[in-house]
Amino acid sequence: MIRLENVSKVYKNKTTALRSVSTEIAKGEFVFLVGSSGSGKSTFMKLLLKEEVPSEGGIWVAGKNMAEIPNHKVPFLRRNIGCIFQDFKLLPNKSVYDNVAFALEVIGRPKSVITTQVPQILDLVGLTKKAGNLPTELSGGEQQRVSIARAFVNRPLILLADEPTGNLDPNTSVGIMRLLDRINKTGTTVLMATHDQGIVNSMRRRVIELDRGSLVRDQARGVYGTLD
Amino acid sequence: MAIKVSYVVKESVGNLRRNLLMTAAALITVTISLALAGASLLFRNGIDNAYIQFKNGFDITVMMKADASQEQIDGIGTELRSNPQIDQKAKKPRFVSKEESFAEIQRMFQNAPETLSAFRGVQDAPAQWRFKPVDAEQLEILGQRFEKRAGVLSVSYAKSAKLIRSVAQRIQLIVLCVAGALLLSAVILILNTVRMAIFARRREVAVMKLVGATNGFIRLPFMVEGLLQGLLGGVAGFGLVAIGTKFAQSSLRHSNVPIARTIAVSSTQLFSTGIFMLIVGALVGALGSAVAVSRFLDV
Repeated sequence: MIRLENVSKVYKNKTTALRSVSTEIAKGEFVFLVGSSGSGKSTFMKLLLKEEVPSEGGIWVAGKNMAEIPNHKVPFLRRNIGCIFQDFKLLPNKSVYDNVAFALEVIGRPKSVITTQVPQILDLVGLTKKAGNLPTELSGGEQQRVSIARAFVNRPLILLADEPTGNLDPNTSVGIMRLLDRINKTGTTVLMATHDQGIVNSMRRRVIELDRGSLVRDQARGVYGTLD
Repeated sequence: MAIKVSYVVKESVGNLRRNLLMTAAALITVTISLALAGASLLFRNGIDNAYIQFKNGFDITVMMKADASQEQIDGIGTELRSNPQIDQKAKKPRFVSKEESFAEIQRMFQNAPETLSAFRGVQDAPAQWRFKPVDAEQLEILGQRFEKRAGVLSVSYAKSAKLIRSVAQRIQLIVLCVAGALLLSAVILILNTVRMAIFARRREVAVMKLVGATNGFIRLPFMVEGLLQGLLGGVAGFGLVAIGTKFAQSSLRHSNVPIARTIAVSSTQLFSTGIFMLIVGALVGALGSAVAVSRFLDV
């Protein structure tokens, strides 16, 4: 599903974010991406969305060579990749329902699709009763559920989560992780960048660790800390 | 993927309403600049139309009243032909019959039926004498001699027509420069309203990019917003010019200055000026929004 071959990324200001990273993530896997701040996790994610392009090496997402996707086709690549963030990125003046529907509207889905899929996904994330509320009227955990609903409503092949529990307390985080687990069980590949040791250690999934841009550990059923 | 028209209309009109003050500033600027440009072009057309009667090199036209008797007309002709101060060789005094005069009037006002309808037919057209003085200094003295004669409607001078024409050309140049400067500021104002709309909706734009909206889909409402401002300004400007033309025509028709009475524009000229204004308005709007979208919308 995702393959990186000797990928390096040097930004214009000469910062090296990734050094010759090679890895492969299969369809349906759940992978934690760990490492300290500045280790290259965000760059890794941005490369998969083609928000940035690698300085060297090749990236394949869903069987397509990213280098061969022209800029005007990038939006169609992104429709296959759902994204959630630490700060939710919800639209404050739209209701929960409208926030989720917006994601379908702007990619031109017909109204009939929107009116059937949005209630379904709100039911999945457990927010049916809050459909009419504004994001500011929700708790952090609920807001993250809305953003997961928005990311998943289009049934993407891949879900990228950038510190999704970074702003949430441990109990709420567990709920979010259960939700991501459920989404993963539907066959969606989930790649989650995190600093949350407790979550990584309790889930025991594959862990990829980056350190100053280099891939230093790739471990099935891994834990957060390095083994040395 | 087809982009829904209703979406684009809703978004661009919504953006315009959100920035009502800026939109109003941009609209007014487009309107005024285009109205100035349009009016000066039409004024030029009108002056050119009035100039037709002096195209053949005659300097003075004596227009007879429509009901002037044949004796009155002949009397003036005899006097002109025997006057040594008047050119009798290269430009002999020339008589323009009612029929010829009417044909000329029809040509002058072929597309201004309002003006033309003031003449019921050949019987209302003024017979004319045209001549050229030997000495240009004698122009006014010669002309004035005929002004008060029985049967004479008016005397008009090519010199005054030329003067009006050159003044008009100068005015036109100045007005067009002002209009150009205003159009430039209109481009900047439209650019700014579109930029503010983009800024106000930057979160939405970020989410749109995230979920895979195409660049065209994200850009289109902003482009349409700028285009609408330009077009609306063009329409409003043309409205001003059309109303102004109507008033100017009716007051010029009753003017005391003979040459002014012949200043008129055809409806074709008015129409093509309108098309010109709409096209310039649309261009101004498209240019402003294109710059804003490409510089401030990173998609």
